[in-house]
Amino acid sequence: MLFGEEGQEQLQDATIFIAGAGGLGSPVSIYLAVLGVGTLIIADNDRVDQTNLNRQILYRDQDIGRRKAAVAGERLQEVNPDIMVKAVDATIDQHTVSSLTRDADGIVDALDDFPTRYLLNKAALEKEIPLFHGGISGFFGQATTILPGKTPCLRCIIPRPPPAEVFPVAGVTAGFIGLIQATEVCKYLLCRGDLLAGRLLLWDGMQGRIEEIPVETDPDCEACAGKYKGRS
Amino acid sequence: MKVTVRFFARFGELLGNNREIEAREGISVADLVKEAASGNKAGYDTIFDEEGAFRDFVIVMRNKKRIRTQDAGSIQVGEGDEIAVFPPVAGG
Repeated sequence: MLFGEEGQEQLQDATIFIAGAGGLGSPVSIYLAVLGVGTLIIADNDRVDQTNLNRQILYRDQDIGRRKAAVAGERLQEVNPDIMVKAVDATIDQHTVSSLTRDADGIVDALDDFPTRYLLNKAALEKEIPLFHGGISGFFGQATTILPGKTPCLRCIIPRPPPAEVFPVAGVTAGFIGLIQATEVCKYLLCRGDLLAGRLLLWDGMQGRIEEIPVETDPDCEACAGKYKGRS
Repeated sequence: MKVTVRFFARFGELLGNNREIEAREGISVADLVKEAASGNKAGYDTIFDEEGAFRDFVIVMRNKKRIRTQDAGSIQVGEGDEIAVFPPVAGG
């Protein structure tokens, strides 16, 4: 076994919340399932649409019109019957975020809007669990891992929401960024390697280039300013 | 003096990814980026608002170090500097 018995047990004991079962949520959840993460909680409030199928690889043609949560739950359980999958048909908002993340050891940001991402960021800060961020558009993407108290939070890095995407996402971009997020989760749970902590990875698929930029805590951050003062 | 302006993602599609520019001494980061973007209205409008200020989601780096966009008008560009302009993306 690649991770040894101990590593596999660490994965088995973990609970990861995946916010969104769309372009990013599909590859993230499938790979965390086959990795053997013991409990996956995945939430989405949408139905499968034909236009999703170029990138949302949890779904097939015959799933069109069905609730994403229901299909995702079935598919992930098929992929790995030995893990627990809790697929929740819910909107992630200020009323539900706390209960959705209650048991999580980490949160994967697979959303497509920043106001809701900021709610996940707040939940991660409050619970002091990591937030694995990803964002995509066309052939472009970004990813970083937020460790509350140790790295800048999502709002330090991206303080104002970018406009909602009007460009379609290439399926391969969702796969690329989603697998970076899943790799981060894997490393975090196994305490191995160097996380994308304090670094924002930028992927330009059209140029075939990866860049990374260092990110810093914003002393005036709306979400975390003063919250972790004095901590490393 | 020679400087480089790098536009990422959508900005790069509209304005070109790497721009080598012969800039005048004393030019600010904000004015340099405006000049680099001035050839393409769609690109310019994606980065700057109606008042000519950076849109609030735009990330600007000078020599790999982030600068606050509200300070970019008063920070001077130096010989050989690399200015990077980056739009975070929101899709998932």
